[in-house]
Parts: sequence; structure tokens; C-alpha cells
Amino acid sequence: MERLSLCLRNLGRHAWRTRIILLIALLGAFLTFLFENLIEDMSRKQSDMFGRAFSGHFLVLNRDIDTKNTFGFYYCKPEQMMSPGQVSRVRAFLAGLPEVSGAQERIVFSGLYYGEKDAERGFAGVAMDMGEFQKNFTDLYFAQGKPLARGEQGTCAPNWYEFGKEKNLVIGNRYVFLVPNREGEFVDREVLAKGGLDYRSMPKDAFGVSNVVFDLEGFRSMVGYSEADATEVIGFLHDARTAARVLPRIQAWLDQNEPSLKVVSWRVYAPIMAEMVLGFDVAMKAVEAILMAICVLLVVKLTTFSIIERYSEIGTMRAIGFSRADVAFQFTLEGFLAIAAGAAAGFILAAVLIGTLHAAGIHNKTIFWSYVIGNGFHPAFHAQKVVRVILVFFGVAVLAPLLPAIHGGRLSILRTLEKR
Amino acid sequence: MGLNFHMAAVRNGITLTGLCKEYRLGKTSVQALRDVNLEITAGSFACVAGPSGSGKTTLLNIIGLIDTPTSGTVHVAGEDIQGLTEKLRTRYRSRTLGFIFQSFNLLPVLDVFENVNLPLLLHRELTVAQKRERVREMIAAVGLDAHLRHKPFELSGGQRQRVAIARALVTHPYIVLADEPTANLDSHTGTEVLDLMEHINRSRGTTFIFSSHDPHVMERAGRVIHLHDGAIEAA
Repeated sequence: MERLSLCLRNLGRHAWRTRIILLIALLGAFLTFLFENLIEDMSRKQSDMFGRAFSGHFLVLNRDIDTKNTFGFYYCKPEQMMSPGQVSRVRAFLAGLPEVSGAQERIVFSGLYYGEKDAERGFAGVAMDMGEFQKNFTDLYFAQGKPLARGEQGTCAPNWYEFGKEKNLVIGNRYVFLVPNREGEFVDREVLAKGGLDYRSMPKDAFGVSNVVFDLEGFRSMVGYSEADATEVIGFLHDARTAARVLPRIQAWLDQNEPSLKVVSWRVYAPIMAEMVLGFDVAMKAVEAILMAICVLLVVKLTTFSIIERYSEIGTMRAIGFSRADVAFQFTLEGFLAIAAGAAAGFILAAVLIGTLHAAGIHNKTIFWSYVIGNGFHPAFHAQKVVRVILVFFGVAVLAPLLPAIHGGRLSILRTLEKR
Repeated sequence: MGLNFHMAAVRNGITLTGLCKEYRLGKTSVQALRDVNLEITAGSFACVAGPSGSGKTTLLNIIGLIDTPTSGTVHVAGEDIQGLTEKLRTRYRSRTLGFIFQSFNLLPVLDVFENVNLPLLLHRELTVAQKRERVREMIAAVGLDAHLRHKPFELSGGQRQRVAIARALVTHPYIVLADEPTANLDSHTGTEVLDLMEHINRSRGTTFIFSSHDPHVMERAGRVIHLHDGAIEAA
């Protein structure tokens, strides 16, 4: 307590320096805590958004299908399709994994349609259970027209702003589609563009995937599937970033039970988006690291300055019996207390700001931020980040003043006493 | 070493043998001490006298383990203190020695009580109550009971030196080294400080080695060691 009291008095005596250290620690803690939580939220949001917006967080499909850079709209030969038995076994296994929030089988294919003025256009098609649609594809919704019903034949839902922009498929009109049957032969069907799909969080003017959605059961009936075959089982995770941990377990099970199948992460089939997520994470971490380094350097400088200013005091303390370690401890404790107090204030400020942002949400229309966080972003606290930032600042509070303090303790008594 | 310096120091005092100190200032060297041989018995009230630059401060600094000699030895209680480990040197300074500086060297942020208590922060064998009692006793001994909570800047020069004396004595050292303790004081206050030091020397048996070039101060010493150009002229 006596040492603590001495430290507090010294901090009070060197008030301007104490205030600067407090301010540095406050800003550092504020920004670090804010960044750590925001990065966590953005990373989750990006991973989840991109996964859901394309083809789920992972795909289980034939080993020979090349999914790289396809965004999930790959080419599948008829003999590469999964049998109904395989589909049900895979789905049953996935249902038992706590990290998996949902799974469904789909048929991915390519087709043609004759749009307005009989213009011929190719498209990437996907047939999925529209009853499960809202549950898993939370980033997509019917922006115009009516939702497709489960088992409904002869209807489709074009990606809204792609087709809306081109005015090529008008909601409510019927068009001739050429779509593949189970054998891969193209059959022509008249299809009603019943509803337009939209992405809630994607920028409308710069983003669009030219896909057309059908109901799975309706599609099978429409083109004449005799068995409930599928090209893939797509899966969703509660937290898309757990893929690195969960997917190897799925692959191990497939190797043992369904050796013709493989599991692929969305980060593999949409690597550009994965790179965006990673790039943003790295950029944010780099900013955070630079901030932290500036904090540490400033504290080191100020502690060094404090030591130079208090040479005579150090000499006196050493002469009356304080050891090198005692002197180093004194300066370290002073630095620690100032940083800890500033950091605590910074945490509180950041907590207030995050709480406010969480309650209000961040709404934006800009393209970049729409890619990064979507429109309507509610950052939150993450327990592990709280612990991590506190540990980091504890380390900074101890280590930043420690080096100059050790230097102070090692100064020659004679030299310090001579400095008056 | 692990010896109890205190009691042995009382019996054996301090022995300096062939002590030399040379400072290098660029290409030139200054001989601060030249072959100093000296014995100071325990309980002495000794004054190291000499003009400025004669080596008084250097001699005290070497005895106080603040400086190291170029050659020669310093024995305290029969032990060569230059050979002590850093840990024992610190212990020697905190348990055996007390320092009084010419410019008092009080910590401005602390009040009288806290300044005197400062060396006791290292004495973990004492309880807080024991420390408090010892500090109060020492402050009373230097006549500053009424100024317990005053900061150094609120005290006169003489009062500050009294605080420094109390701080030097609070650990009950057996040797007190005082570098020109009256140099920054007027003659009346200087006399008071010397009275106090002498009283403590007599009542406690504490060895006092102080430096001065003031003839009035020298008169008060039980023994005067004259230094000139780093060498002993008379002892």
C-alpha cells in the first residue's frame, strides 16, 4: 500500500505526463476494443452473408466436380449426381452435427430461355426446396411478385436486379425455358416468372448473379425425374467461420461412408469473396497493430522522459537502499496504473459506443460497406474479445513501462545523483 | 558475505587501504584520490575536510558504495565491501548506512512523514505500526513533530536537512555519511544541524563521517581528516 501510495502521488505530481499516458491508453483501449468487436462482427457477417448469398456455407457433391471459382454454379454431368440414398444419408449425418444449422439438397444446372423480344439468354439455374428457402437463405427474399410454393411446377424466381435491370424477364410473364432433364438432355418448358429474388444486404447497382431459382420438387416433376436425385447437398453453419473445424470432420465421414463425395467450403468455390473477408480482416488487424505499436512507443517514450527528469530521485532512492528491481518496480507500477486507468476508461467508452450502435444499427448505402457489412449492421460484444483485449492491455501496461523502468533501475547511482 | 554488518561495524569500524580514484575526462585523467590509507573507528564523529576538488565527496561515495575505487580496498567490519554482490551492496546501503546529502534530496511529492518513512518501505520485517512509531520518534528527535504533513517546499533549508537526517537515521544505521550537510544552510541553522548530529552520535553511538570545508564545522568534529588534491595531509 505504501508503494502504491507513492506511485499515485508521483502520478499526481507529474500530472501532464500522467494525463498524456491516460489519454494514450484511453484512445488505444477504445479503438482496440472497438476494432476487435467490430472485426469479429464484420468477419461473421461477411462470412455468413457471402456463404448464404451464393450456395450455402458448404457443399457436399461428387468428388469429380470442379467447383473452384464457380460461386457454386458448377457444371455437373448426369452420372455425377447424388442418388436419393446418398442424399438422405448425408442429410442424416449433417443433422447430427451441432455446428450445422441446416442442410438441403439442390439441383444446379445451366439452361437457356427466350426472354423479351425472343432474345436468347443463358442462365445458371438452381432448384431447391422453397419451403426451406426462408430458413436458410436469410439474405435472400422475394422482392417482387409472389414466393414460389413447394412442389409448384412451371414457375421460377429470377434474381431480381440482374433481370430487373435488363428488363429481360418481367415478373408475371411466361417464357420458354430450355432446361436439362436427369439424362442431361434439354427439354423446353413454359415457365412463369412468378417472383423476383433480392439480396437484402448487397448493393443493388453493382451486384448481380444471373441465376434463376425453381422449386426442387416442382422442377423434378417439370422435367421428368423418376428418382429424387440431386447434384448437391448444401449446408449452413451457425457461424460460417467454424468451417475450418467442421468440414474436415464431414470429409472424414464421407471418406469412410460415401467415398465418391467431397465437401467444399464456400471459401473454395467463391475465393474472391473469401479473399475479401480475409483482406478486410488483415487490414483491420494491421490498423489495430499499428495503433497498439504507437501506444507502446509513446508510453515507452514518456516513461523514459520521466526517468530522465527524475534522475536525482532515482539516485536518492538507490543511495538509501532501494535495489535496481525496487526502482524498476516503482516506475513500472506507475506506468501500469496510468495505463490501466486510461484503458479502463477506453473500454467503458467503447462499450457505450458499441451498445449504441447495436441498438441503433448501422445503415448504409455505399457499395463498399454494403459488401463488407451489408445494410443494417448491429455490432455486439463478444466475451472472448473482452478477455483478449483486457489481456493485451494488461500486457501493454506491464511491458511498455518495464523496459525503460529496468533501464532506470540499472543507472549508475553516481550518475543519477550528479544530475540535479 | 551474509554477515550482520551492524554489530561488527560497531566493533571494527572502517579501514581504507591504498585507495586511489582516477576519473577520465576525454584524454585527460584526474586523480581524485591518491593512496588514501585510513582507519575510522566505530562511533567516530569524523570530518573529512578540504577545499573543493580535494576528493571529499569521492571518498564518501566510495565508502557508501556509490562509487568504486580505481585501486585499493575498503573494509567495513573486516569485510571488503567492494567485493560484495549487487544484492549485498543494496543491503549494505539500506541496513548499515545512512546518507545525508548537501542538497537534502527529499522527494518533493512526499510530506515529512513519508520522506522519513521512505527507507523503511524496504524493511518488510517491521509492521506498519512499528514503522510509524519509529518515524514519529525520529521526527520528534529532529524537532519536526509539528511539521509531519508538510511538504519539503513548505520547510526552511534547516528543516529540510533535519528531515534528511531523520531519513538517514530511521533505519538505525551504524554509519552515517553526510556530504557537506551544512553547506546550504546559514551558520545558525548549520550549528543546529551539527548539534543534532553530535547528539545522535553520542546517544546512539552512530558513526558519522561528514565532509566540509567550513572551519566552524571542523571545530565540532571529534576527528578531522584533511584532504588535499586527493591525498591525506593530516588525520
